[in-house]
Amino acid sequence: MVVALTAAGGTITLLIGTVLLRLAVTGTYRRYVRVGMGPWLAVAGCALVLLGVLTLVRVIRRDRLDADPIHDHGAGGVGWLLLAPIAALLLVAPPTLGSFGIERGATVDVRAGPAVFEPLRGAGPFPMTLLEFGQRAFEHAGASLANATVSLTGFVAAPGAGGFELARYQIACCAADATPVVVRVMGVFGDVPPADQWVRVTGRSGSVNGDIPELVATSVVEIATPDDPYE
Amino acid sequence: MARAVADDAAAGGGRPGGREEHERPRPRARDVGLAIVALVVVAAAVFRPLLEDLLDQPAIAHWATVFVAIVVQAMPFLVLGVTISAAVAAFVPDDLLARALPSRPVFAVPAAAAAGVALPGCECGSVPIAGRLVDRGMLPAAALAFLLSAPAINPIVLVATAVAFPGRPEIVAARFLASLLSAMVVGLVWARTGRDELLRITRGRKVDEGPPLSVMMATAQHDLLNAGGFLIIGAATAATLQTAVPRSALDSLGGSSVLAFVAMAGLAVVMAICSEADAFVAASFTAVPMTARLVFMVVGPMVDVKLIALQAGTFGRSFAARFAPLTLLVAMASSALIGWWLL
Repeated sequence: MVVALTAAGGTITLLIGTVLLRLAVTGTYRRYVRVGMGPWLAVAGCALVLLGVLTLVRVIRRDRLDADPIHDHGAGGVGWLLLAPIAALLLVAPPTLGSFGIERGATVDVRAGPAVFEPLRGAGPFPMTLLEFGQRAFEHAGASLANATVSLTGFVAAPGAGGFELARYQIACCAADATPVVVRVMGVFGDVPPADQWVRVTGRSGSVNGDIPELVATSVVEIATPDDPYE
Repeated sequence: MARAVADDAAAGGGRPGGREEHERPRPRARDVGLAIVALVVVAAAVFRPLLEDLLDQPAIAHWATVFVAIVVQAMPFLVLGVTISAAVAAFVPDDLLARALPSRPVFAVPAAAAAGVALPGCECGSVPIAGRLVDRGMLPAAALAFLLSAPAINPIVLVATAVAFPGRPEIVAARFLASLLSAMVVGLVWARTGRDELLRITRGRKVDEGPPLSVMMATAQHDLLNAGGFLIIGAATAATLQTAVPRSALDSLGGSSVLAFVAMAGLAVVMAICSEADAFVAASFTAVPMTARLVFMVVGPMVDVKLIALQAGTFGRSFAARFAPLTLLVAMASSALIGWWLL
């Protein structure tokens, strides 16, 4: 049975390849997968563009020769569904994961960190990941933090009077396996930023009684979404 | 083309067997297919403001991000799998595999399951490869054992597991053994009782004829669109379940180990995480007993909504309806056994 290639199949393949290449080149892919995936997306994109173009060239040539009857099966029914992510990504790229998933998912347990951290030395503020901050805060009741000033970057979840939850997702592979790390920010005077606003918070470690580490803020600065939104 | 699409949709997206008599070339059919592609792209452009409004809804944005993430992350692996599958179709002579492997299932199945160590990648790539292996005359039970073991026991996945559970090599060993055991048992059970006629595969079928490179290209194109389409169904299902079912519901199960075990197996099916990432997610369930986290890592690469869709697309629906429950039960049993022994 000869299943020939179709112009539609070739076009869909070409479009997926283009979308992947665009994600890789613009860096938008960082919203969905780990930073290290970039080159692989570019390779896969190039391969698909090549396959799509070759298919189209062949279909056009066959058309000219009119050599054998074409059985139009190239897109194989479900192949059409690939148009959904193409349409989504070519036009509107979905955003990074936000506060919606925070209260719904299990959070990273920061109490199970490495046994002992080196104490922070020198003048702060020390920029660190939310995970490191949490692990340090719970290790010997925050001994390694020694009341130092730290600076954390994340987005706002559950804003309320005088504070909010600062969150950032950890991803192992893609956004489907994202697990959030959460730090409770206290002592915010004035307006609390809205949910999903990215902020850089400077402050000192607070109490370590509950499951979630606390940060007593000295400053909260609103920032744009970082290039690499996941830890 | 429009007619072909309707037929394929009715047949579950596969190639409808025995419909050859309907397959008359239609003049201008190709133009209809192209027109649909163009129409979708134009319509999406026209309704762009509407799409942007939709993404302002947090739940829909969450769904869209998870959906796109699964597709984007699977694409490189799918391309790799499709390339290997196409190369097998183009360059492996008919019946070479049948002759190279032992013919008795007792030997062929374990050999094929162990060969899974050699394919670095995740589950999306192994489905088209297994389909092609059956196509080329491999014993179906052996190809299925390979399909199950390859995404679970390859070096990349084992290293990821070791990184996710630092200082706990027994977890890596337990995952390796439980996955290999499941693949072999499912393969042998299928060899004894499975019904190979359910596999919608025609021996020696070629997607195209001609010089090897053109066969390779045609096969790659065909497998990509087929597997890719089913990947979309699976990704959409997984994204919907992840958005609708809060994961925190599981933490309350930590107390009962049997409940947690069953719940984690179910979670692996609905979350559809890549096998290279599931160890990190398993590690994040700190309140859940270790054996329950093991079953999450053993079931995930073998049975999940995305894989069921891919298998249904490659081998047929009635096959998937028997194969997925069988695999789930065997994977749970072997995880329980190995977990009880090692963890």
